[in-house]
Amino acid sequence: MAKRRIGVFVCYCGNNIGGIVRVPEVVEYARCLPNVVYAEGSLYACSEEGLSSIKAKIAAYGLDRVVVASCTPRTHETLFRNACEEAGLNRYLFEFVNVREHCSWIHMRAPDEATEKAKSLIKMGVAKSYYLEPQEELESEVYPEALVIGGGVAGMTAALNLAQQGLKVHLIEREKELGGLLSQVNKLFPANRDVKEIFDPLAEGVKNHPLITIYLGSEVEGVEGFIGNFKVRITRVEGEIKVGTIIVATGGRELKPIGQYGYPTVANVLTQLELEGRLKEGIDGWQSVVMINCVGARVTGRFYCGRFCCLTAMKNAILIKEGNPQAKVYILLQDVMASGVEAERYYRRSMERGVRFIRYDPISPPQILGERQAEGVKVYHALIGREVILPAQMVVLTTPLVPQADNERLSKMLKVPLGSEGFFLEAHLKLRPIEFATDGIYLCGSARYPSDIAESVSQAYAASAKAAIPMRQGLVRVEAITAFSQERLCHGCGNCLRVCPFGAIELKGSERGGKVAWVNAAQCKGCGCCVAACPNGAMQQRSFSDQQLMAMIEALVEEVSSGP
Amino acid sequence: MEQELREIVRKLLQEGAIEHFIGYAEGVEPLHTTPCFIEREEEVGALVWSPFCPYNLARYLHQMKNGAGKVGLVVKGCDARAIVELVKGNQIQRERVVVVGVPCQGQVDLAKVEEAFQGAEAVEDAGDTFLVTVGEEGHSVEKERLLREKCFFCKHPISFEYDFVLGEMSPFLLDRRSELEFAMIEEMESLPVEERRAFWRAQFERCSRCYACRDICYACYCQECIFESRAPRWLEKTTTSLDNQTYHLIRAWHMVGRCIDCGECERVCPMEIPLRQLYKKVEREVEQLFDYEAGMRVEDLPPLVTFQVDDLGLVI
Amino acid sequence: MALDDKPTILIFACNWCSYAGADLAGVSRLEMPPNCRVVRVMCSARVRPEFVIAALSRGLDGVVILGCHPGDCHYSEGNYYTWRRALLLKGFLEYVGIEPGRFQLRWISASEGARFAQTITEITDTIKALGPNGRRRPQEG
Repeated sequence: MAKRRIGVFVCYCGNNIGGIVRVPEVVEYARCLPNVVYAEGSLYACSEEGLSSIKAKIAAYGLDRVVVASCTPRTHETLFRNACEEAGLNRYLFEFVNVREHCSWIHMRAPDEATEKAKSLIKMGVAKSYYLEPQEELESEVYPEALVIGGGVAGMTAALNLAQQGLKVHLIEREKELGGLLSQVNKLFPANRDVKEIFDPLAEGVKNHPLITIYLGSEVEGVEGFIGNFKVRITRVEGEIKVGTIIVATGGRELKPIGQYGYPTVANVLTQLELEGRLKEGIDGWQSVVMINCVGARVTGRFYCGRFCCLTAMKNAILIKEGNPQAKVYILLQDVMASGVEAERYYRRSMERGVRFIRYDPISPPQILGERQAEGVKVYHALIGREVILPAQMVVLTTPLVPQADNERLSKMLKVPLGSEGFFLEAHLKLRPIEFATDGIYLCGSARYPSDIAESVSQAYAASAKAAIPMRQGLVRVEAITAFSQERLCHGCGNCLRVCPFGAIELKGSERGGKVAWVNAAQCKGCGCCVAACPNGAMQQRSFSDQQLMAMIEALVEEVSSGP
Repeated sequence: MEQELREIVRKLLQEGAIEHFIGYAEGVEPLHTTPCFIEREEEVGALVWSPFCPYNLARYLHQMKNGAGKVGLVVKGCDARAIVELVKGNQIQRERVVVVGVPCQGQVDLAKVEEAFQGAEAVEDAGDTFLVTVGEEGHSVEKERLLREKCFFCKHPISFEYDFVLGEMSPFLLDRRSELEFAMIEEMESLPVEERRAFWRAQFERCSRCYACRDICYACYCQECIFESRAPRWLEKTTTSLDNQTYHLIRAWHMVGRCIDCGECERVCPMEIPLRQLYKKVEREVEQLFDYEAGMRVEDLPPLVTFQVDDLGLVI
Repeated sequence: MALDDKPTILIFACNWCSYAGADLAGVSRLEMPPNCRVVRVMCSARVRPEFVIAALSRGLDGVVILGCHPGDCHYSEGNYYTWRRALLLKGFLEYVGIEPGRFQLRWISASEGARFAQTITEITDTIKALGPNGRRRPQEG
């Protein structure tokens, strides 16, 4: 077997790996693996220093394969591949071993076992790297038009931002009007200005922009394709729309707490949004209002906090007080979420206006008094240590935003995941917060998590900026993990083309006579299903070949056999 | 019937409808036939048909793959399924094959004949019995005593894929013993797992890796067999217990949805490993789980290259 | 017996769902037994049964395929093929004397970190109880 010059870089990741796994011992171990000519520990392999070291060692030791043992390839694989490329090594001669998420972080109480496991995982990674082959990435064209799903503040902002960059946008909104939740809102914190001041210019901008095509009362019916080349079918439109990127801005909806606190049967029990509706109509003059916060949030089955509903309650409380300074306005809450630039000041303002804040314990929640009408609210006032009865001409329930009912349907169409709460799940919480793991699809606003306007707008800018990148470049490089058929081994049985979910395989005539399989690499998405269906291994997948994966298995078997 | 066969073939060759014909000819020893390959009319006299024609002649269609001419062959009902599977797997086009179907009434297990009648010289099919000739004497024997095990539950005695048929497509005269088909599978399944492991380990250890089972199988037509691969090396060239087990288990997996129980593998195994007891397990699973039988219709998709959403409701 | 406590379990995890779920379990610092070794594949459908056969024959104590929930496969239908293969393979392996439990298929989504941890713990316990899979080194008979 040919000799290789494999370099292994074991990351400490500060304390994250180094605090549990004995990295120096692992480095020593790696140094002794077959074909490893260099091994080092690195405090933060992904840092400027760490990457420089890798590049320097590639040159100094003539490394022809690089293995980095650190976090997860799902975040930094590209970073390290870039480093290899910069050092003159083909980017596909790099192998990532996960010793953090899959090792140190899950065996924090078992450092010995974690160390042994890290060695084992590195042995497997080195074994695979031996068989890696250099690859060239295909370039695929990106159609310079975008689809924005959702015409609320996030969607409109994203659409306008893209259009202003000269990119054509298809904006689809399932209601008959643009606006999303914004259309139901009355005034906006902190200046308590009318929502029209934000909404109208935005909507006008969108409607008037020549590059934005708006589809009202329409929904997405089907999506096919991949970055640069999505084909989308929407209701009420003939044929398909071709786009290069997609932005999900479908928002959320207010939780209607059916069955709680007499909602919806008791007439004067409302949600905050419903109150906004009343205030918009000019209804006011209530003598007493009790608001109950955290209804349906931070409970079993819905653990999260709604982020901005505290401020919404305070805003509406202030407006009611301004309409009738004599009104008794109470906000019953568990905690106050008032983070952000103006929020604490706003909280103080509401107290200065006379809004009363009463803390309640979730184990003894407030009770509505009255049968067909709420007349009062009984609550255990934690601070004074007894129950109080508050007069209530109206009870307002402050509920969080929850996922849209059709998130699941849309997620299946786009083939993107949902998180455990039912909102869309981004690629990475910190490093890739407004895109999906699937290339070419981006995410902003409450579709991800309850977002206030400022957040929705920021995320929309971010999503549209990211979406613009491939569209402006006009090309994407297709990751070279596609399948290919070895003509000399293929007997044309057709198993592969039958299983390919993308129709990327054909049978073509061979010089040998008969037909053999051929993969259209531009259409291949790299699932590897065809490889598993091929009886003799004629079909293989770049960077995930049978030989590479078997090498990992053999490495593990060797360990097991040579044990006690 | 032999006359009819020879006449059909003679005509096909004369008309140029086929270039080759694959059939059975007298073997060197009594009670044996041998596959034969005929190209000229004068040779048709060699063709025979008897209860000693176990060979699945469809196996030889492998050699015809990249040619252009037409080939004819005689097939029993079980063997005809192989032709369907070969067409399904793009190994030959149906138009290139002229199928002569023969209404087989069961094949004889040579070992059983030799045990019951030493020195037998001939065995003839006499409808519902076999007529065994030993020296001067003729013995009429119940078919069950001499029949190949797989013939007891023959599901497809009548080849449905044919261009010509010898005589009439008469139904199988023997009562089908369908309960026997998977009896040996059920028996194995009733054993505790350690006994199964011990059984199969003992069987695999005897394997000499002659690859006769692979070489005789109609379904083994890969351009280069997976077991020859050096990238990766699924097994070595040694007959260790590990390599033998790896060989047999992977081969059995490759038989999923393709085994037609022609029984050739077991017949040719010099170590008498009960291969059918392995392959029929997957045959049964495929039938029970996916309602699939190999070699019935060319349009049927093999079970592993398709799926139904309902599959998720299936349990083993 | 000392050997019982240290099974070696090979896990194939698909990049889009189960590998991400495993990452989430890590991010959440969920403790679990250290006997598993994850091999990343892009889709569970990449896992060919020959890997499972080879791994178990060579003496690994367990092999697990983790994939996306049906309907959620990043490649739309890969996991349906995985399911069919696993169904057939499972029955076949048990038939030749490999104890039930050594080969398993589970669905884990990208957001199911806790479920990944539970699954690993459960499977490790099952395989520990089965004891070591007969070990055979390639050079030996």
